[in-house]
Amino acid sequence: MLIEQSANANRWSRVSPAAKGVFSLCGVVAAYAAASPAAALGVAGALVAVAVLGAGIAPGSYLRVAAPALFFLGVSALSLAVSLEFGEGAGQVALQLARSESHRIAQLCSRSLGALSALLFLSMTTPLSDLIALLRRLGAPEVLLDLMVLCYRTLFVFSEAVHDTTTAQSARLGYATARLSLRSLGAMVGHLTVQIWQRSQALHLAALARNNDGPLRFLEREYTNSRRDQSLAFIGGAALIGLALVMP
Amino acid sequence: MKPTSDSILELKQVGFRYPDGSVGLDGCTLSITRSSRFALLGANGAGKTTLFLHLNGILRPQSGTVSFSGTPLDYGRRHLHALRSRVGLVFQNPDSQLFSASVREDVSFGPMNLGLDGRSVSNRVEEALQAVGMTECAEKPVHNLSYGQKKRVCIAGVLAMRPEVLILDEPMAGLDIAMQADLSDILDRLHCEGMTVIIATHDLDFAYQWADSLSVMVQGKCAATWEAERIPDVLRELAGYGMGIPRVAELYQRLICSGFSVSEGLPPRSHQDLLGVLAKVHLDRG
Repeated sequence: MLIEQSANANRWSRVSPAAKGVFSLCGVVAAYAAASPAAALGVAGALVAVAVLGAGIAPGSYLRVAAPALFFLGVSALSLAVSLEFGEGAGQVALQLARSESHRIAQLCSRSLGALSALLFLSMTTPLSDLIALLRRLGAPEVLLDLMVLCYRTLFVFSEAVHDTTTAQSARLGYATARLSLRSLGAMVGHLTVQIWQRSQALHLAALARNNDGPLRFLEREYTNSRRDQSLAFIGGAALIGLALVMP
Repeated sequence: MKPTSDSILELKQVGFRYPDGSVGLDGCTLSITRSSRFALLGANGAGKTTLFLHLNGILRPQSGTVSFSGTPLDYGRRHLHALRSRVGLVFQNPDSQLFSASVREDVSFGPMNLGLDGRSVSNRVEEALQAVGMTECAEKPVHNLSYGQKKRVCIAGVLAMRPEVLILDEPMAGLDIAMQADLSDILDRLHCEGMTVIIATHDLDFAYQWADSLSVMVQGKCAATWEAERIPDVLRELAGYGMGIPRVAELYQRLICSGFSVSEGLPPRSHQDLLGVLAKVHLDRG
């Protein structure tokens, strides 16, 4: 929901998704091409700055969206940097720091951070419907795009249904004890399964009623200053790659 | 109601059973006049939605015929395509109809399916959004809209296909008083533009006030059809179908029965009309 809110409420939500896609792609390339961990961190920092200062994404929202990925990255870095060594005696376990690999680990983590920042820039500044339209223009398979459209829409329908069901169950003490909670959760899953089936039928009928007999087609949004934005994105992206290559 | 040459949609002895054996329609006969406002009344499960799905060609009758403009429906792909572009159907639950997470995209879905070029689709989308007063919400995500706004988007999605007939299944369900009034205005505007508007409703007061003719469905059958003006004469019959009677008509009859003399003219069909009648009587007495 945070991603969704940011994507629709930021200053650049109506900017051409192609421009933002180009800039994000350049960010990933720059992160990969970074000659040193410092350069990759510089790229990551630049991308975060552009998202926060340029697009106007609230730093708090950005951090909350990035937190799970950062946690995963931290755990991965730790597992790469530290290894367990078992001694011959019973219960002899020692932690060993992989000092010789520290540069490579720092390189890997900083690049991942750069790539993560690039992806967060794209996802937090661009509504998913714009991204789907961009993928359509890039020739992504129709079936995949139709699934994306339906999943994205039904995500909100079902999150509302889950909220309503949970509230109704709570009002009748459905989550009063651990046992009741488990039972209520099972009942809700069963109820939603039936709902999903019924709603898919209803959507099918609604599509037929509006003359659909193939892929789900929608009018593509027109963006003002699309060419200018794409040119700026190219320039900004090239600067990012330059920064990654030049920084020591 | 007898089929007339001006009937836009007709059902003759239409029967339909669902795969589980339940009766959808049972020898249903009905005729809907072109450019009229038609209200279909009936209890839950009476067959109103099933009937609507037949009118749009989604369901095919197992017996009897459905005709559009005097011609029995052809269920070939090309003919269905033509029918569905002329007969638009708005479902009861907006979340069952809205595909895209973007308002503008969803409204464009129907016209895109008609194979129109981008400019024509764009024009139609703007017109349809304007018709339902949703232009300002065009860029909003669908999930951030209120229930009433979602209903309007659903109507815009069908209007963008420029149908001759607009069918709405329980359009007033779940709407507050202000939204009901707004929707009623939208329907009136569409009717004034020559569109045939058909609704299913449980709200007899609204149906009596709004419709040119009303039908009652009972267990898959079209039990009775009346012109709205005739409703005061058939109150007992109407009550017999378990639909109640319009409160305005009931009150008006009570007033007449208790010796209240009113000048000749059509009986009032809305609360506002009745107040007008009473004000006139008051003036006459003064």
